[in-house]
Amino acid sequence: MSIRQSYLASDLVSAKDFLNDFTDAHGESKYLTILQDVANRKLRYVQIELDDLFNHDNLDKEFLQRVTENTKRYVSIFGEAIDMLMPDSTEAFQVDDDHDLLMTQRADGTNDSADNSDPMQKMPREIKRFYDVYIKAFSKGSPLTLRQVKASHIGQLVKISGIITRCSDVKPLMQVAVYTCEDCGFEIYQEVTARVFMPLSECPSTRCSINKAKGNLILQLRASKFLKFQEAKVQELAEHVPKGHIPRSMTVHLRGDLTRKVSPGDVVEFSGIFLPIPYTGFRAMRAGLVADTYLEAMSITHFKKKYEDYEFKDDEQEQIEQLAEDGEIYNKLSRSLAPEIFGHEDVKKALLLLLVGAPHRKLKDGMKIRGDLHVCLMGDPGVAKSQLLKHIINVAPRGVYTTGKGSSGVGLTAAVQKDTVTNEMVLEGGALVLADMGICAIDEFDKMEESDRTAIHEVMEQQTVSIAKAGITTSLNARTAVLAAANPAWGRYDLRRTPAENINLPPALLSRFDLLWLILDRADMDSDLELARHVLYVHQNMECPSLGFTPLDPSLLRAYISAARRVSPSVPKELEEYVATAYSSIRQDEAKSNAPHSYTTIRTLLSILRISIALARLRFSETVAQSDVDEALRLMQMSKFSLYSDDRQKSGLDAISDIYSILRDEAARSGNMDINYSNALNWISRKGYSEVQLKECLEEYAALNVWQIHPNTFDIRFIDA
Amino acid sequence: MGELPYDYVDNPFEAVQVTFEKAVQDLATDGRFDPARFYRKDWGVVDLFRHFVFDNGGFSKIPILELSNLHRIKPNTLVRYRGMIQDMFGNELYIGAFKDGDTWRTNKFMERPMFEMTPSSDEKTQLWERSLVYCVPVPGQNSWTLEYSTPPYGEKRGRDDEVDTMDFDDSLFKKQRVDEVQIQNQSLDSVGDPHFQSSTDMVDGFDKNHFSCLVKVYDTPENNLNLNDVIEFIGIYTFDPEPAEDDDVDPNYPTFEFMEDVTDHISPTKVPRLHCLIHRKLSVHDFLLGRHIAAAPTPNLIRDVRESLFTYLLTVLGNDGLAAQCVLLHILSRVRSRDHSISVGRLSLNLSGFTRENGSKFGNKLSESLKNILPFSLYIPLTVEYLNTDHLQPKKNNVTGRLVSGALQLAQGTHLVIDETTLCSGTLYDIGLANVRLLKHLMECQMVAYNFEYYNLEMPGEVQFLILSEGKSNILPADLVVPFQPNAITSSTNVTPELLESWRWYLAEMKSIPHSIEPDLQKTLEDDMVAAKKVNVNLRCEDLSRLLTMAQLMSASFGETNLSLERWQMVKEIELLRKKRIGGI
Repeated sequence: MSIRQSYLASDLVSAKDFLNDFTDAHGESKYLTILQDVANRKLRYVQIELDDLFNHDNLDKEFLQRVTENTKRYVSIFGEAIDMLMPDSTEAFQVDDDHDLLMTQRADGTNDSADNSDPMQKMPREIKRFYDVYIKAFSKGSPLTLRQVKASHIGQLVKISGIITRCSDVKPLMQVAVYTCEDCGFEIYQEVTARVFMPLSECPSTRCSINKAKGNLILQLRASKFLKFQEAKVQELAEHVPKGHIPRSMTVHLRGDLTRKVSPGDVVEFSGIFLPIPYTGFRAMRAGLVADTYLEAMSITHFKKKYEDYEFKDDEQEQIEQLAEDGEIYNKLSRSLAPEIFGHEDVKKALLLLLVGAPHRKLKDGMKIRGDLHVCLMGDPGVAKSQLLKHIINVAPRGVYTTGKGSSGVGLTAAVQKDTVTNEMVLEGGALVLADMGICAIDEFDKMEESDRTAIHEVMEQQTVSIAKAGITTSLNARTAVLAAANPAWGRYDLRRTPAENINLPPALLSRFDLLWLILDRADMDSDLELARHVLYVHQNMECPSLGFTPLDPSLLRAYISAARRVSPSVPKELEEYVATAYSSIRQDEAKSNAPHSYTTIRTLLSILRISIALARLRFSETVAQSDVDEALRLMQMSKFSLYSDDRQKSGLDAISDIYSILRDEAARSGNMDINYSNALNWISRKGYSEVQLKECLEEYAALNVWQIHPNTFDIRFIDA
Repeated sequence: MGELPYDYVDNPFEAVQVTFEKAVQDLATDGRFDPARFYRKDWGVVDLFRHFVFDNGGFSKIPILELSNLHRIKPNTLVRYRGMIQDMFGNELYIGAFKDGDTWRTNKFMERPMFEMTPSSDEKTQLWERSLVYCVPVPGQNSWTLEYSTPPYGEKRGRDDEVDTMDFDDSLFKKQRVDEVQIQNQSLDSVGDPHFQSSTDMVDGFDKNHFSCLVKVYDTPENNLNLNDVIEFIGIYTFDPEPAEDDDVDPNYPTFEFMEDVTDHISPTKVPRLHCLIHRKLSVHDFLLGRHIAAAPTPNLIRDVRESLFTYLLTVLGNDGLAAQCVLLHILSRVRSRDHSISVGRLSLNLSGFTRENGSKFGNKLSESLKNILPFSLYIPLTVEYLNTDHLQPKKNNVTGRLVSGALQLAQGTHLVIDETTLCSGTLYDIGLANVRLLKHLMECQMVAYNFEYYNLEMPGEVQFLILSEGKSNILPADLVVPFQPNAITSSTNVTPELLESWRWYLAEMKSIPHSIEPDLQKTLEDDMVAAKKVNVNLRCEDLSRLLTMAQLMSASFGETNLSLERWQMVKEIELLRKKRIGGI
């Protein structure tokens, strides 16, 4: 025991030295500043971070270890050290506090009193303190799950994460009971360490005991020191529960300034001391050999759910940097979205861009331009639309999944409802409002309520929900990216009707979607065989065929996207011209055709820019490159083709000759007979053709001696006739 | 066998204590011993028991802990208990070892210390942990599985009240609490030696319909015991007649609000505690009586058993051969693998064409006969009221800290008969819709989402669905829809116990045989499927998958591990007949 004692004495010195000497990265004495703030009553707690202890120059490793392993003891040691170091207040503050009044009185009283030596009359430190001491665990390192906290952690500082399921009311907990003696008039102090205590009834002061007066003690509630105290129950997070197990829970005790920090449903990280409950009285007898445990909270961190606040774990930053250097990142990320859903590469690319989005722009005149991308998936039942939606919601840090006919009466936007208890009108936000700054996936978009249908126009462009009902006029923010899935008007896509007839949505709403995809369940020999093979494989090997690549972890995907969202790329001057020409050529094409499928409007131009910016974000680039614009145009073209692919075949031009005409037109426009292969590829991919088709075309026309192909670079040179 | 060093059954603590002290002595250096060495470790006592139970024929000597023979079992003796893990309470810390003067003692496997413990400093006690699991009788467990091989008390017992044991909800618990108070008063009157209290009082305390058990498990890797596993525990039964203090103590007694541990609500007078030494997962085979037909059955034998079972099903189903075939395949099905949301091997069956009249006639007969051959089966008549009021979903009650079992908390391999003929038109409310969705999800994905208030957790649940309905069921779209066409009402057939036994064995055995497809057949199958898809464009991936499952089950029903062309043709024929029937209606 004596060894221990000496440890503690030397540790008090260490604690004091640390508080005195520690300087943070800016060279400032962090804790002395804090102490001054506490002395000036600006702060009510001192939080000692293990990180600082670790970074301290004269670090005593063993001291650090003792602090983590016997934290409760060291909280009081640091408390003692702080008491010693506490500076005088530098600012005048009013002594109107009961506490302060009492303290001044007491200070006077003790000076006169003769029997200072009486232990019961010595004022306990706690009563003088007007601050709490907390020791915060290392911020690095991932928190433990509840089931990882074992008996061996008793008394140690641990960090856990979980979801709050219950919270008690905040109650006062007596820390020091103060009595006055009727006889001698002294104040008697009793420290309370447990929840229950046995009140003193006889005055233990020297005077009373000498006089054998057995002075009657009266508990002074006003003079006693109480702590705010709250209990909470924390449950394991779903992702930490092993298969076939149910989540565990743990009781957390919150004291002082940590109370009222959590409410049920919060996902939080606690650092705290894992302790057994000291049983008292009857309970102790019954409990016999079983100990209940709880966590004495030392710090609380709420998990943020916004992308921008995402904190990288462990080596995620590094992994992201590695991924960013990889040129294939665009494909890799998009394939990792819903990897179990086969194919649909372009749809997944569009969904990836939806997750990334573009930054919001606010012009000088107050006009806002939305940065969120809206995507609509349309298709036959059973083509995994809903699965795609749900998967996206899983990846998005903040996402709401709902159906057009939302289950509650609030619907998608917002509703004014009568509160059943108070009879007041209250405003309740719908799914779109709840998904503010996130993603809202709306299944069965076509079956939307009529009231929502009108409101959604506003949401998708202005990104607000305006309400003027029952005396409430207001506008709620709904800065969400909408991902909608809709079924064709007659349940199944009817190829004999026009797409406009099949899509059961007004054009005004459709034009607000940046990308619109039609996913059809078409039957052909190849895909049937593919399907048969797939089914057979699954039955034989009892697993899905390997994907041919390892999909990225959803958490890494989330981290990458949130990192990408921090970049806000701009469009360089040189590209403005390029985008403008591309836009005008689309407009002209449309003007030429006698049955235009779509109306290219200024919205389209904004869409092109948004998609390009999202692509640049994926590369962590501050400027948009031409390749981004090309890919944006290609995606938009593909999205159109998914709707009108039949038309293209009807137009009489097959892919090969179409590619030829594209190349010829471009060459004629530039007046140059030489075409760079990569340029050619860019042009045709913008129109929705693949590299394979281009190669085919090159070979075919080279055989006709229309052009010559460079054997290595595949550059094209037209042979002038 | 005679010279066993300890009386394992009647005084297991002796073995625990003596071995512990011996181990301490052996490992101590200079008279000092660090008990932390035994933290989460065994010092050999479990092996000793294992040896006794499995090698020395001790298994048959251990009484089974169940309601009927509870009064014969003394506390602090070795017992066997079979049950399903319904809830897990996490870990409990206990003083595993403490220093009594100069000697170390252990409290492992004990509810309360055998030796007086004086409150002492940290160095003299060791906190160890054990995990608590709450076990209940398997929902829908059929009576034949309760006829254990050789009951030690020579008493066979059927259970007539096995159904309806599962929907215990809050109200039931509340009722229990009231009961508890009365019982405690009783037991207070009859204070005697707590360890040898008169047995009648004890039995009265336990809930007759719901005999559950709180098992304390030591040093087991976490993934060994999973929720809804059917487990046999061998351990020390402890009974603590001391009343729970909550009722005696002044209600204003300031305890921590959330501190009370879940086990406080489970009074030891209601639920026995079991300190587990050995546990093992049970499969259907473990419920079969010892008389297996043969170690390596011949194909002919299997064929014979199949034939007799098929004939039996035929009579039950009013001579409808197609339905009998499909039912046979259906009861042989099991989930062979699951990958993400896909589960391979399940075959849910929808027998349509049941009316309310013949529904009760054939439906009851069918579910009764299934009860005789399957270990766990349940019959749920679906009504609008049932769907709207009953909570099918297992739900965590965060106030009591317990998992409230819903009707869908089932053991792996449970057979469910859902009778839709009792369904009338009506309105489904929120809860009803959620219940329907839950049922559908369980059928299609073989997963149940348990409600943990702030999030749902998907638990795998392997359940065979048989749906009886008038038309094709739209609520529960099964894999296989067969219009039921009985053409004769057959009187009940007499089935000998031997036959029943052989069928149970057959089902258990054939369910678990492996399966593969030879490469040459694979090509044929591929072509067949592509051709089928050409004929019928609407053929979906699920349909092809179902055909393959049926083919695999068909070959399994003959005890074959390889799919042959013959079985594939049989399945195609069934499919053809089925299509004809559906078209014919």
